[in-house]
Amino acid sequence: MTSTRTTIDYEALVKEDRIHGSVYTNQEIFDTEMDRIFHRGWVYIGHASEIPTPGDFRLRRIGRQSVIMVRDDSGEVQLLMNRCTHRANAVCQVERGNTKVFRCAYHAWTFRNNGELLGVTYSDRYDASFRKEDYGLRKAPRMGVYRGLVFGSLSPVGVSLDEHLGGPVKDQIDLFIDLSPEGELDVTAGVHKYGYRANWKFQIENSMDGYHPNFVHQTFFDNIQRRSGANIKDLFISRSAAQTRDLGNGHVMLDFRPYNMQKGPGLRAALPTTPWGQAYREALVQRHGKERAEAILTAGGTHLLVFPNLVLIGVQLRVIRPLKTDETEVFLYPTLLKGVPVEMNASRLRGHESFYGPAGGGATDDLEMFERNQVGLSAQVDPWLLLARGLHRETQDSDGTFVGQVTDELTQRAIWRQWKRQMSQGSETVARRRTNGAAPRRVAQ
Amino acid sequence: MAVDRQQIEDFLYREARLMDSHAYDEWLALWADDGLYWIPSNDDDIDPQRHVSIVYENKPRLEDRIIRLKSGVAYAQDPKSRLSRVVSNVEVEEGENNEIVVHCTFNLTALRRSKMDTFAGHVLYRLRPYESSFKIVYKKVLLVNNDEVINNMTFLV
Repeated sequence: MTSTRTTIDYEALVKEDRIHGSVYTNQEIFDTEMDRIFHRGWVYIGHASEIPTPGDFRLRRIGRQSVIMVRDDSGEVQLLMNRCTHRANAVCQVERGNTKVFRCAYHAWTFRNNGELLGVTYSDRYDASFRKEDYGLRKAPRMGVYRGLVFGSLSPVGVSLDEHLGGPVKDQIDLFIDLSPEGELDVTAGVHKYGYRANWKFQIENSMDGYHPNFVHQTFFDNIQRRSGANIKDLFISRSAAQTRDLGNGHVMLDFRPYNMQKGPGLRAALPTTPWGQAYREALVQRHGKERAEAILTAGGTHLLVFPNLVLIGVQLRVIRPLKTDETEVFLYPTLLKGVPVEMNASRLRGHESFYGPAGGGATDDLEMFERNQVGLSAQVDPWLLLARGLHRETQDSDGTFVGQVTDELTQRAIWRQWKRQMSQGSETVARRRTNGAAPRRVAQ
Repeated sequence: MAVDRQQIEDFLYREARLMDSHAYDEWLALWADDGLYWIPSNDDDIDPQRHVSIVYENKPRLEDRIIRLKSGVAYAQDPKSRLSRVVSNVEVEEGENNEIVVHCTFNLTALRRSKMDTFAGHVLYRLRPYESSFKIVYKKVLLVNNDEVINNMTFLV
């Protein structure tokens, strides 16, 4: 594994309430991010439901490295590096498909879909010491799966996926998936691919930013209000009961539940008025009991960053793919729910399309902001970015997470603290922080 | 009913000019109330009830799109893209319900922030005769790059 030698002082770049603009523009920092965050920690790859049948595969990336997520003939999910063990040809040429074997076109070496080397052409010219067993496609050193979300790590050592995620993150993933009465996501509805000419971290910061929506997305919210009467802007004002939340290890979220509970009956009652709504609600109650079903419906999903590259937002799984300091791809996978009527899943898609994707009415304006940010970074008389909203008003909740108001920059500060840890120590293990030594304060539920 | 091919081509050229010049209201006026505007994502033949599209909009949603584009605060079109497209390879067939089925291809150059991008594809229309012209009942755009990264396609395609 290559390591990046660096004399960069990350403590000097990431302060309590500000960060230095070079974190978005410096090439060495970008290369170090690839090495220490993407090629060492846990990175989201794809969802098991994308590869339901043996032989199904998806071509993905861990950082810069091409990797095949495949279900082998015995039904197991594998992460195989997309590189012929002979002379490095990329054995997988398409993004998705089904195959029993990966055949390298160059010298026709053939690998089973579990990575085993099946056949070497003209093998008589190799010595007796050559053993096919030594030349299977290399696997990502570690793989971890939670509720079908497949994560990979290129480092053979480190904290487990379980430890990296932590309880509160798994709770949020559960809320997202348990909207399905069968407890299963179906990630077979295709993908939106967009890109922008700016740094990848703008996307994860923005996804967890509750301050910008009333400005950047004002026309989208106005359209909703005009059509349905719902006042979405109310959610994103500085007096809103909605929160920002730090779940540890760089995982952060916007928590709309306190706001939803205030507006409660309106939101939760909306569902049964649709023809299929009542049957769906009953199915949830049957599976989870009334109290948990209410909690699932009140949450309505989640709005979560799983550091570094996965966001659960709206109905989608969003994967951030850094290419260069100032070039990023973002893939958005809208999810269907197993066990719900066709109309409900179609409605999820229609809602997703209206805001997201390269022709969407919301996310596209965010991308414009990122590109404007990258231009603004060129002006370096003052190199600092201010992240002071709600700085000394964070409180600790009973589950150990930290909360602020939804327009606060608690989420960005938590992202940068994790970033700094992984960049300077090269390790993703973290002791949960305390509020300046004070006893944790319980937040009113 | 004999279809006047020139009249249909003129309609397509006018639609292209309205889209290129961001004449949002006039473009919206070309649409029937039961119109559907569809740009599939990833593949040309998808089931829109189970697979995501780049655009899948009935008239009310199209109206929302136009309202947003006219608002002055649709930042993805601030500045507006400069657009120039060619429409060609027009084939005309009689459809059902007195509609006319039109196939054509387009090639569009879009310039924004000093970057030029090409969009191209095949378009399938169903047109309904209306007064001396037509209304668009159905427009399905098969983008060559519907499975590629697209940075910004918030202008009309």
